[in-house]
Amino acid sequence: MRIEVRLPDLGDEDDAVQGGVVAIWSAQPGDTLEAGDDLLEVTTDKAAFVVPCPVSGTLIEQCVSEGDRVSVGDLLGVLEAAG
Amino acid sequence: MIEFLRLCAACYNGVSGYERLPKRMIGIMEAQPQFPPWIRRAWPSGLTVREVKTLLGELHLHTVCQSAHCPNQSECWERRTATFMVLGNVCTRHCAFCAVNSGRPASPAAGEPERVAEASARLGLRHVVITCVTRDDLPDQGSGHIADCVAAVKQRLRHATVEVLVPDFRAETDAIRRVLASGPEIYAHNIETVERLTPKLRDRRFSYRGSLKSLEIAARFGSDCFIKSGFMLGCGERPEEVRRTLEDLRAAGCVAVTMGQYLQPTGRNHPVAAYLTPEQFQEYEQLARQVGFVFAVAGPFVRSSYRSEAIFEGQSRAQASRGASKTAGCGVYCHAD
Repeated sequence: MRIEVRLPDLGDEDDAVQGGVVAIWSAQPGDTLEAGDDLLEVTTDKAAFVVPCPVSGTLIEQCVSEGDRVSVGDLLGVLEAAG
Repeated sequence: MIEFLRLCAACYNGVSGYERLPKRMIGIMEAQPQFPPWIRRAWPSGLTVREVKTLLGELHLHTVCQSAHCPNQSECWERRTATFMVLGNVCTRHCAFCAVNSGRPASPAAGEPERVAEASARLGLRHVVITCVTRDDLPDQGSGHIADCVAAVKQRLRHATVEVLVPDFRAETDAIRRVLASGPEIYAHNIETVERLTPKLRDRRFSYRGSLKSLEIAARFGSDCFIKSGFMLGCGERPEEVRRTLEDLRAAGCVAVTMGQYLQPTGRNHPVAAYLTPEQFQEYEQLARQVGFVFAVAGPFVRSSYRSEAIFEGQSRAQASRGASKTAGCGVYCHAD
């Protein structure tokens, strides 16, 4: 089953200003990942945040590139869930 | 290119280097700040965060977690703790390190104390932290409203402990005693930085000595309360200034202290002068205990109220460890034993 990975809500009051910049992808298309493995790193003004892989599976596609600005809800990548 | 940016980031982290860089380069770096490896958090699933955010929205409550863009927010919310910010989200003072909006605030919201109590009950909180913006516009500086919030929480949640993190109240005894009389277990006021950097980082109406005086009054009249303070590191302070600040806070009657990395909330705030390593934080934590603090926590992501309930766990564990060897940690932030 294909799973879309979107940038989760960090909780700020204003969704529009919330988000960050994609710093680096920790996984490449074709990589097999366990749930909780690092998927990519997003930096906000205050810190770097690692977005974990939500389910075990294979990364099919990276939908954002390093340097892209991303907001809450944006599609980051697509996974093929294991099993 | 990445290496070049890292080099720039090294300059960027030093204030003087930052000023010498071309504006265009500063723009690029502000778009993509570089952080040392320990300034890194997990971006959580968002499910609990969404739930807490909905609840706060429904009850028209603000949290400092949101207003300060706190990097611990999701972790705390997942643990179902939040720091309520009462008296609105507009501050009458303007500090260079802080992301809270400043301006002319609205009148205190009627029913806010009850809504804070309601949210605390619905979140199942055992330790409730209440902070506020500075309200120089109000005759009692908001002390009555804070006291009402503490009382409402105490009435609703009889077993919860309450911590207040308040402004200096211009060191006015009446305002401080009003808050103490509502019965918080912890009374905190942050000194924020060392004496030399105070004029640079805090609004001119705050002063280092004024904060100490305010804490002294709280300690004198709140003998059954933990008096706590905290300050940021990485703003350009020197080690001997950190020691001096710890000694001054202890002399003022503080028994608890927190020290955390200053992180620039937006491009408009004061730049970070240095990222201290986790080892440097550990050394300062040791130093604080040498200076005589009962509860001292320091770390890159330590914030005034971050896991502050550990003060009570630490107490019981400290007591228990006198008779037994029960020293297993409840997390890296609790070192009272």
